[in-house]
Amino acid sequence: MTRGADGFGRATRSLHWIMAAGILGTFALGAYIARMEVGLGNLWLFGLHKTLGISLLALAFARMTWHLLRPPPGPLPGPPLWEMRLARVTHRSLYALMLAVPVSGWAYASATGLDVLIFSGLKLPPIAPVSEVWEDGLHLVHRTLTWTLLALVALHVAGALKRALIARDGTLARMIFG
Amino acid sequence: MRAAAALGVSFRSIPRFQDKAMQTRIFRRTALALLGTAAAARVLSVAAGRDIIGPAEAAPARYVLDPGRSSVRFETDFGEDKITGGMPVSAADLTLDFANVANCRVRVRLDVSRASASFPFAAQALKGPKVLDARSWPHIDFQSSTVRRNGDGALVDGDITIRGVTRPVTLDAAIYRQSGTVAGDLSRLTVQLAARVNRSDFGATGWADMVSDEVRIDILARVDQAA
Repeated sequence: MTRGADGFGRATRSLHWIMAAGILGTFALGAYIARMEVGLGNLWLFGLHKTLGISLLALAFARMTWHLLRPPPGPLPGPPLWEMRLARVTHRSLYALMLAVPVSGWAYASATGLDVLIFSGLKLPPIAPVSEVWEDGLHLVHRTLTWTLLALVALHVAGALKRALIARDGTLARMIFG
Repeated sequence: MRAAAALGVSFRSIPRFQDKAMQTRIFRRTALALLGTAAAARVLSVAAGRDIIGPAEAAPARYVLDPGRSSVRFETDFGEDKITGGMPVSAADLTLDFANVANCRVRVRLDVSRASASFPFAAQALKGPKVLDARSWPHIDFQSSTVRRNGDGALVDGDITIRGVTRPVTLDAAIYRQSGTVAGDLSRLTVQLAARVNRSDFGATGWADMVSDEVRIDILARVDQAA
């Protein structure tokens, strides 16, 4: 993959931006379907939300595998140590949540007792017991993890903007241009 | 007893389940009767049972279900749409007395485990633990307690058991001759029973935010007089 010594390759950048769009889109869809009046005409949106979520889970695995095979370059120097540590914790938490949010959604869907269908017909095995207690609990877990993920995305964006607009050190540029 | 009129000349307006051919026949007869022809009048009186149901035939008669030609349909609101579906009648035991409606007895058992619905998720939700919990409660049972006349039909008070919870319910009943039978022939009948229940009364509360509480049930039982 094309990259300079400190740059990100095309695969890494593609995965980053596709997942960024996917996470925001899936969140927006999830927030919408949680509030809409459900009917025959919009029932498919639940399937779309699951399809997107499980696709993002697969992409998260692909991304982590890719980083193991081709470790990305470390952070550009500059910020104080606490900021560097905060950035590292944020990145690790983001990866953990990119796995945990879709898995918690899958578990929540399993607990309803309905088939978990993605891509309009692919049935995922249930990964949680069917019970209203589990359903309510997992719904809360899915919501809480999702909001945590969004908070961390906001922190991540804030850090990237700080480096792009205040430090102007090329950190954001290498995620865009390599 | 005028309840016998329900047999051949029930003009209950447009039941949801219609024995089409039979209704056509009823309407044709009505038209003829209105024309006032002597023949039609006789058909009507035969249909009403006055000629052929003598004292002997008026005694309570037992009927058994023809399961292949019987069905239960239900309907409930789902947002702006409806969920419809069906359930096989696994048993029905009826004793009908056209001379004295109060002697009628109705018992119906529905097979929840073979319920169907208008889309796959609905069928799964319906039979799952949050609604009918078919694994624990494979049947819905109805047993009549009192049968009252209501126009050409009857109101059947009784108890319905859903999810193991028994509640009083009133079924709106109509009885028709089946198509292919002659007026006054009581050997094969079509019994239509309609009811409304609130599923929350029975603990069937799943998806209450999406699916309406009230469920409308229509039972169409084709029955044969027991030998």
